[in-house]
Amino acid sequence: MKKTIFKTIKDLPRHHPLGAGTPACGGCGALEDIKLFCDILGEKTIFVNAAGCMTLLSVYPFTPFRGSWIYTAMASAPAGAQGVRDALDVLIQKKRLRPEDDLQVVVLTGDGSAYGMGLSATSGAMDRNLDFIYLCYDNEGYGNTGHQYSAATPHGAQTATSPEAGGYWGYKKDLFSIWAAHRPSYVATVSGSDPLDMARKIKKAKDLKGPRMFIALAPCPTGWHYDPKETVAIGKLAVKTGIWPLKEYIDGKVTHSKKPLSKEKRPGVEEYLEKQGRFAHLFKPRRNDELLAEIQARVDDYWDNIP
Amino acid sequence: MYRIRFHGRGGQGMKTAGRILGTAFFLAGYEVQDAPLYGAERRGAPMLSSVRANGKPINERGIINNPDLVIIADESLLTLPAAGVLPGLTSHSVLLIQTDQSAGTIKNHLHIKGEVLILPLPPDEKTTGGMALASASCGAAGARLCGLALDILEQAVRLELKTLSPNIIEKNLARSRQVFALLPAGIVREGKEIMAGWQRPHWIDLPMEEASISAPAIHGGATSLNMETGDWRILRPVIRTDDCVRCGLCHVFCPEGVISLTDDGLPEIDYHHCKGCLICLAQCPAHAIDAVPEHDKGGKL
Repeated sequence: MKKTIFKTIKDLPRHHPLGAGTPACGGCGALEDIKLFCDILGEKTIFVNAAGCMTLLSVYPFTPFRGSWIYTAMASAPAGAQGVRDALDVLIQKKRLRPEDDLQVVVLTGDGSAYGMGLSATSGAMDRNLDFIYLCYDNEGYGNTGHQYSAATPHGAQTATSPEAGGYWGYKKDLFSIWAAHRPSYVATVSGSDPLDMARKIKKAKDLKGPRMFIALAPCPTGWHYDPKETVAIGKLAVKTGIWPLKEYIDGKVTHSKKPLSKEKRPGVEEYLEKQGRFAHLFKPRRNDELLAEIQARVDDYWDNIP
Repeated sequence: MYRIRFHGRGGQGMKTAGRILGTAFFLAGYEVQDAPLYGAERRGAPMLSSVRANGKPINERGIINNPDLVIIADESLLTLPAAGVLPGLTSHSVLLIQTDQSAGTIKNHLHIKGEVLILPLPPDEKTTGGMALASASCGAAGARLCGLALDILEQAVRLELKTLSPNIIEKNLARSRQVFALLPAGIVREGKEIMAGWQRPHWIDLPMEEASISAPAIHGGATSLNMETGDWRILRPVIRTDDCVRCGLCHVFCPEGVISLTDDGLPEIDYHHCKGCLICLAQCPAHAIDAVPEHDKGGKL
């Protein structure tokens, strides 16, 4: 067993392969996630990118990636990844590509694609045991088009399509469990505000084969309505309050890599919610105690049922 | 017909400024069009907002190419060709810039033939770079320069900001009155109707291109470094090296990856690309990073 190489912040890579100068908003949580993925995976990658905010990273003739990048329609990134993987395998077999020049295929999509219209193609890729990494940057809405709700939007969040007091009536889909039910090589949730946990999980996945699936929390100043400098603080609160569990699925078992404090000691969900304009209606003009209690109860219930 | 173009960066409020002016014109009895154009659809990226107002139905559409009035919220856009703030200005048009520089400096530097007016930044807004009330400031400036009445402007501000708290609406109203008093009334003149009739376009035949030209591939890595996103900044993070404890957290958390560490662990910010999100400032455990308004550095002209 290899020893953990990321013990402290100082063990994280010093050099960032991902180039600056992207059109992503200042304070973008998704960019933070992708930056760390590039740090750990290195330059021998090909990102298969479904339509979303992050497709705007590569607008001809500019790209922040040092490896390759290909654009697909919103529902079909994992299908595109299958084609790319097959092509690489054929090239290696025909000795037109040296095995050491092989590329890691990484699907990059937002939550709109991962939780919604791309789910079928993802399911198929896992069925076929496709050798790839999937990175879903989850900003809990269709961020690129003005933040309409998606299947990843949390209950009560205001979006462009749930603007009324009370916010989104639906509930965030449990994509982790849906993915894990396919029994792929690896599934994990991560957050850019917790870079050590994230770096360890990416490293672990890098050394495996088969489908390796990531859901990365991506706080979004533009869509969640908060000051861009709060991105990391909000990501940390999501973990501390227990709203965003950091966990992984491997060899048929789910384990939590970091647990929040006990119900009595951990900060309430309010601390996370009140920092974001999309939840302002819970506090102003009147406190919505009923909805706040419901959100808190769901989080408590989740952790009560973790062995 | 009045044609007004507002220029700003995503997040500064120029869409709302256009809406405030459009609503004011509408309340004054005009036919009105107002529409924002977001370009890159990103906070900090250049955007513009167009307002047309006419006493009779408006048949013109699209971006305003022949403005009677151009209002610029952020002077750093002047040096950015992609922002397109200057095209279409003639001796007939009026240019208003929110800046601490003088009108003469701007007129001479940019060879502007028409009138140049200055809207000074509010002195009590050091922490926001003057952008907290920019939508009310610029909307009010447009209304004043086009000769609309103060009570109509106030009504428009209330209508457009009605979802905000009473305290914030009051601040915007106060700023609107202040701007109204600062600027001369009605100096913008209506431009001529130019869409007299349909004209046959001059067709140009474009031959088909080779696929390698029409669908090119990029073979270089990290070409985005050629985009100097540093000019998105309103506030500049500045590290006080004496107070820095060399923990490296700013380097880890900067989403742009523009904070590098020297061999002895001191962070250095690449200001050519830093967008000024200030996550570094918020996360610095030693509070060793200050936010300095960009316009405090004497502007960029």
